[in-house]
Amino acid sequence: MIRIENLHKSFGSLEVIKGIDLHVRPGEVVCIIGPSGSGKSTVLRCINRLEQPTSGRIVVDGKDITDPKTNMNLVRAEATMVFQQFNLFPHMTVLHNVTLGPVKVRGLSKAEAEKRGMELLAKVGLAEKAHNYPDQLSGGQKQRVAIARALALQPKVILFDEPTSALDPELVGEVLEVMKQLAREGMTMVVVTHEMGFAKEVADRVIFIDGGRIQEEGPPEEFFSNPKNPRLRDFLGKVIAH
Amino acid sequence: MAFQFEPGVVVETFPMLLRGLKLTVVITIGGLFFGFILGSVAGLMKISRSLFLRKLAGIYIETIRGTPMLVQAMFLYYGVPMASGVRIPPIVAGIIVIAVNSGAYIAEIVRGAIQSIDPGQMEAGRSIGLTRSQTMRYIIWPQAFRRMIPPLGNQFIISLKDTSLLMVIGVGELLRTGQEIVAVNFRAFEVYMAVGIVYLVMTLGIAKALRALEQHLRVLPEK
Ligand SMILES: Nc1ncnc2c1ncn2[C@@H]1O[C@H](COP(=O)(O)OP(=O)(O)OP(=O)(O)O)[C@@H](O)[C@H]1O
Ligand SMILES: [Mg+2]
Repeated sequence: MIRIENLHKSFGSLEVIKGIDLHVRPGEVVCIIGPSGSGKSTVLRCINRLEQPTSGRIVVDGKDITDPKTNMNLVRAEATMVFQQFNLFPHMTVLHNVTLGPVKVRGLSKAEAEKRGMELLAKVGLAEKAHNYPDQLSGGQKQRVAIARALALQPKVILFDEPTSALDPELVGEVLEVMKQLAREGMTMVVVTHEMGFAKEVADRVIFIDGGRIQEEGPPEEFFSNPKNPRLRDFLGKVIAH
Repeated sequence: MAFQFEPGVVVETFPMLLRGLKLTVVITIGGLFFGFILGSVAGLMKISRSLFLRKLAGIYIETIRGTPMLVQAMFLYYGVPMASGVRIPPIVAGIIVIAVNSGAYIAEIVRGAIQSIDPGQMEAGRSIGLTRSQTMRYIIWPQAFRRMIPPLGNQFIISLKDTSLLMVIGVGELLRTGQEIVAVNFRAFEVYMAVGIVYLVMTLGIAKALRALEQHLRVLPEK
């Protein structure tokens, strides 16, 4: 589904990603963990080309997105993103947030898009908020709308960048529940997260990035119970002590 | 001879002042209509990815903001026809001057409002597959427009007052009408006071209308 080969990314003279290879299979849930500033967001943002990779190759759903001829707008709809700060459109109702992409990008009629939008809002438990505006929602509700907005595009993969980090602790659970359900339904997901419990429970594979490189990766049982890389041990020690 | 205030003069001459006022309103509205279009285009050029467009918009904005409107008006009305050989009617010249002049200030208003929108909005728009221009049109512009309302209102008031400068190119707007009346009846005190009051009523009216519009839009959420 996603194949990253030897990805490098620099901001000016600062090299942030120093050669990453990653292969995500259809239906797989990959969690990315790592210290702040290690380049986790940058990897995700390269996958849907919010950032331009400096070098390397990224293939999403068979399309080489590093090829300048690729229609990036369609790729972005296939590998859509859920942001830490939600980034809902504040001037549109919840339902309109969810239908905009399907209508403008996928060419659905408004009626079709709204029908499916309502189903998706029901799925994330927010059907009754369809005609509210985002600022009338709690953080957890906003993030669930953002997930419905992503799902409405029928993407091949959803990229989550710390989807629960901006939430009050008591609101984290409702968002993780929705994500777990997606995982069970077979959605391909790449999730940057600090929620180790979620990674343990849901991930098929966990990846530890530090200093712009993948330091360790593996299935969660092994990854968490028997970390080999000393930096990972150090990192896990700090996170758990938290 | 002691000065005597004669309010009756104003009543007598008021129909004439109203004709001047009509022209002031026409030029203000026409000028601002085209000024808004010009300013929006220049404002968008100012933040475009093309260096050429950015520079072009920059030259326009700096030139207009760096020269007096009086000079711009006289150059357009007296200067340009000498080079082009075509005379423009004063009203048309007036509308062009107001449009070009306000456009430069509106461009900065537009640019500032767009840049004040959280960059996450552009990223979210792009992430659902919208193109850059679709994101601008459906996501950024509607939010930016709301933020433009107060400074645009300010510019409306400035441009309305600036139309009085157009008397130097023979536009028979409100102030020039007042001047013509004074040339006949010598009641400068009453006539110019009346002219001033008419401007004041209009500017206060615009300010009030804008507050109402803002209030109305506040019902919709801001971020
Ligand atoms: N647009 C940019 N311009 C310059 N430097 C950037 C830019 N984006 C990110 N960086 C730098 O790249 C490095 C990696 O950033 P990135 O956001 O990928 O880290 P992260 O692992 O997601 O961290 P966090 O956990 O804090 O979100 C950081 O040092 C950051 O300062
Ligand atoms: Mg990050």
